[in-house]
Amino acid sequence: MPDWKKIVREKLGTLPLTNGRRAEIIEELAQQLESAYEEALAQGINEQEAMRRSLEQFKDWEKLRMELFQSVEGTRLPVWEQNGFFAPRRAPVWIALALTLSLLLAPAFRQALAILPVPGTDPTAWGSRIFSEETLRLIEQSGDKQKYARALAFVALQSPKEDDERAVRAAEKAIALDPSLTWIAAKICHAIYSYPGYDPHPWIERLKAWDPQNGFPYLLEADANAHWWEPPWTKYSATRGGLGAALAAEPRWRIPMEKAFAAPRLDLYEAQQFALDRQVLEEQGFDRPDILMAGMWSQPMPDFIAMNFYADFLLNDVGAKAKKSGRLDDARTAYEGLARFGERLENASSYNLQLLSAKYRVDAYRKIAPLLRQQGRTEQSADVAASLASLLEPAKKRPYLISYAAGERSGHIVQLAGLFFSLFFAVTAAWLIALALLRWKPNLSAALDRMASVLCLAPVFLLLSSVALFLGYYPYARHIGQYASLQELQQGFLPFLMGVYGFPALDAFMEVYLPQMFWPTVWCALVAVVGASSLWLMRRLARPDRPDVA
Amino acid sequence: MAIAPDRELKKGNAELLILALLEDQARHGYEIGKLIAERSEGVLRFHVASLYPLLYRLERRGWVKGEWEPAGGRRRRYYRLTQTGRKILSEQRSRWRAFSGAVNRIVETGAAHRSAVNSSMEVQHA
Repeated sequence: MPDWKKIVREKLGTLPLTNGRRAEIIEELAQQLESAYEEALAQGINEQEAMRRSLEQFKDWEKLRMELFQSVEGTRLPVWEQNGFFAPRRAPVWIALALTLSLLLAPAFRQALAILPVPGTDPTAWGSRIFSEETLRLIEQSGDKQKYARALAFVALQSPKEDDERAVRAAEKAIALDPSLTWIAAKICHAIYSYPGYDPHPWIERLKAWDPQNGFPYLLEADANAHWWEPPWTKYSATRGGLGAALAAEPRWRIPMEKAFAAPRLDLYEAQQFALDRQVLEEQGFDRPDILMAGMWSQPMPDFIAMNFYADFLLNDVGAKAKKSGRLDDARTAYEGLARFGERLENASSYNLQLLSAKYRVDAYRKIAPLLRQQGRTEQSADVAASLASLLEPAKKRPYLISYAAGERSGHIVQLAGLFFSLFFAVTAAWLIALALLRWKPNLSAALDRMASVLCLAPVFLLLSSVALFLGYYPYARHIGQYASLQELQQGFLPFLMGVYGFPALDAFMEVYLPQMFWPTVWCALVAVVGASSLWLMRRLARPDRPDVA
Repeated sequence: MAIAPDRELKKGNAELLILALLEDQARHGYEIGKLIAERSEGVLRFHVASLYPLLYRLERRGWVKGEWEPAGGRRRRYYRLTQTGRKILSEQRSRWRAFSGAVNRIVETGAAHRSAVNSSMEVQHA
């Protein structure tokens, strides 16, 4: 005869009941098994089969254990007494948590977490915040002049608009420490040319003297000399071509533009800023391609519209007049000037500048080709026509948008995974706190115990969302030092980043709901909880015979 | 066809069944399970895993009282109705009669009406 009590005791495990109830229940269940066993034997069934049939009455012992406790005590089995697969007494849930934590050892996972958008914050407003005055002072005290100069240059480049004074001071210091950083003057003069009380011209002159072959300082000078969007220039906007003609008639605008278009080089200092940002971020421990990307958005850009005004002036005024008066070589010189300027813009990282580069060349080649034919230089004319045809090929119009959609999709996936990660992280944290409190005081709160029981799966979902986040981000995970150029960063990371920040379905949630509706929602939830509790209480009072009705 | 005990439990009838079986005499758990199957001629079967938690719940509510008593050379835990249990049984039985009577009236009236119509049509054809 099997020892039924022993079998039941082992199957039930711990059952935290008081006043000897556990022993009574074990005895009663053992009798149930024994009676069924004896009945089976009496029917002529062999012992083995009789035992199997008897035990089959209780298939799920853990469920039985929980139901017995709830029936006797009137409350759920405490979370720390449960033996389910994901109960805190068992290993799987802690293994899931440990695996999630071990993912933090992977730099790719840390980077993925760091780039996730935080509601209510502006991802591009990180700027010079990484350098507080105290941090700068510590770097200065370290005695590494180059590092200090780089940090100051970084502050000068990344300071927000409202902090221009700090930027100017930092730029002065940085250039004094390391004159090879003089190019940051472009950012300063660009930032302050419309800022009351600042004169950008000393900065422009400094830049011109430092980099005389570059057309960029002259573009900045023209921008600083004529603010075409302000009076008195706005009065010329009423007539077609009026503003361009008025600007061209102003030598303080036309002469710098002339020099900019004729300069042998056009360097917008993108490569220098990229190298500086990357080095400074690495030195400060910010392995963040998104920050590197956002940093590049602060780089100074020439005024595209002013450039277009001058391009029109070259085509439709200088070139057209020369052609009309029979000075074909002069006309060609004007058109070629525009084409050369377009070629110099070709390597700019900005998509808009690349478009302008193509536009200027197309406009110029369209004028140059017939002019050369007219001059009898058919071979040269054919070459120009071939260059024009090549520029008009569709694939050359938008070179870096080819892989945009795939990157954006990956960004959406990472954003979704990140949302789930945040949610389950919060739930897991709440679960851990509840577990700790219940470990400290097992009878602290039945509701807390119920919550801890229900949330036992949170660490598992946290692990799943972490793995999804990790795998989604992994193809884009690179140390910022591995990006050799701004173009590489833009082509490899920008589409993905746009996907992370631009999930159309979540925009309303991230930008409107979270910042504005979060607390109203909390209040509504609170009212709902109070209402539901009141209804439960009223129903309970209405059925005194059924205290468990809810 | 046997009715799934879970469904029965949800309907709240499982309590009524147990209370009714304990009305005349005290019984132990094994006996209760057997009686439900026997008296319903196999239509109702109770999972033993649900029976004991239900008995303990009724005991906690004070509707039944369990006591160890000697039986056949060993002791068994016998359950008997308390005063509250009898009152609850009476209420639940009234409710059940009202409910089953209402259902019967609808179901049987429909059948009787159909039978009457069929008979009258047969008479007309004849």
